[in-house]
Amino acid sequence: MMRFSTLLKHPADWMTGHDEENSVVLTSRVRLARNLANAPFPGWARKKERQAVRESLQSELERLPGMKTGFSHELSDLDSLQKQVLVERHLISREQAARNEGSGSVVNRKQTLSLMINEEDHLRIQAIRPSLQLKEAYKLAHSIDRNLENKVEFAVDPELGYLTACPTNLGTGMRASAMLHLPGLVLSDQIGQVLKGIGKLGLAVRGLYGEGTESLGNLYQISNQSTLGESELEILDRLTRVIGDVARYETQARRKLLADDPVMVKDRIGRAAGTLTYARIISSKEALNHLSMLRLGADLEIMPASLVEICDRLFMETQPAHLQWSAGQKLAPAARDIMRAQMIREHLQTSLPPAIDISGDKN
Amino acid sequence: MKCDSCQEKATVFYTQVADGKLKKFVLCEACAQAQGIMNPEGLLMAEELLGAAAPAAAIADLAPFPSSGKCTSCDFTLEDLQKVGRLGCPDCYRAFAGEIAQRLPSMHKGLVHMGYVPDGLVKQQALRNERSDLDAKLKAAVISENFEEAAKVKDLIDALEKSTKKGAVTS
Repeated sequence: MMRFSTLLKHPADWMTGHDEENSVVLTSRVRLARNLANAPFPGWARKKERQAVRESLQSELERLPGMKTGFSHELSDLDSLQKQVLVERHLISREQAARNEGSGSVVNRKQTLSLMINEEDHLRIQAIRPSLQLKEAYKLAHSIDRNLENKVEFAVDPELGYLTACPTNLGTGMRASAMLHLPGLVLSDQIGQVLKGIGKLGLAVRGLYGEGTESLGNLYQISNQSTLGESELEILDRLTRVIGDVARYETQARRKLLADDPVMVKDRIGRAAGTLTYARIISSKEALNHLSMLRLGADLEIMPASLVEICDRLFMETQPAHLQWSAGQKLAPAARDIMRAQMIREHLQTSLPPAIDISGDKN
Repeated sequence: MKCDSCQEKATVFYTQVADGKLKKFVLCEACAQAQGIMNPEGLLMAEELLGAAAPAAAIADLAPFPSSGKCTSCDFTLEDLQKVGRLGCPDCYRAFAGEIAQRLPSMHKGLVHMGYVPDGLVKQQALRNERSDLDAKLKAAVISENFEEAAKVKDLIDALEKSTKKGAVTS
């Protein structure tokens, strides 16, 4: 089994590798909610019952193909910082991080598959792929589902489908989502309209970390809301179509901005690059917003193309928990802001024209 | 699911036993009330409207365990559901079927699962559910000293057991 530190040393498979395909859609995620037929749901179960479910599921999950070399832990064995790192990597949910005994996490080495035990449901199978690949992500999650259904008895009803703790997940138990980078629509003031349109189609739009989180760095998650009354394929098709449309609007908006007002666009990108290259104190929010502009610059070929991957890594690694993990200690917000600025400067030095040394020291 | 009578969304699930046969109707609230399903005296009218034979005995229910508002498997109550919006265990979906059916239309595109199902599992669980529904009905009939009804339910249980043993899955 992989240790937590080993897991963290490697960026997830879906965080690296850039091509034109992910200039708007960063990642695709599919999660399936499953419950055991004969046990109370985690939120209602007694501690003992939760533990029993975790133990039996965790050992089954560890035996799955590809999981033997993965990461597997009971969450109460991890400290709050480690859990927060997993949340920032989208490998566990915020809700699961807040739960105590009897909750577990199993992740494969490539971090493409994350199995959450006793989150809101007994099991959540999550698959993550880069760019717009919802069907591929579903296939991956479904293969785990098929494998497990021969070993454990899931709660299924012929009319209602998979039975879940919350009726909003009933049926397929499937939530599919994509993470989109939409600076063009934000800069051209079209984002409100687009989001409204998505809402009217019965899809949900959320910020970086799911329900109730604000949008930072022009990052938006689009997902299905309904899980009953349509097949997985119908849901995935509709979602893929809508997300493809949004990605096209975004690309058009970027082109139009550059054609109509190139100085404004280059000014925004240049200012972001300047701040990121020279700032000594930078908050998470400010960093995300400037990194978003820098990534836009790389996508528009105003900045070196290699910056896209660096920005995507920094989106993740400058988050509070990742930062503290790499520092090897807990840091107060003020200390984090200094360390964040330093980390960004170091990463950008290799990709941007050499910075002018304004401090006289190397810090 | 649509109302048997008017194609509106169904929220009332009604089961009756007639001539040793289980019969299920699904109705919207308006039709159920208009046909007096909520009140046993009105049953004959409902029968006429739906064009079915008059029942020898009838149990009007919103769910298999209507009496206490409590799931017999996990003790989760209707009040808990109203408070947290979540359920206690998979069996709660049957215990609070009426309440849940009312909530589903605002959450989902449809009311019936159209996605992937693991075949063997569904049949197995459907049989088990049918059996526990019948057990609950038998108990209710015995308690209310409706022995005619009890005998009929017992026949159904025997038939179900027989078919399960033969491996002939019909439902």
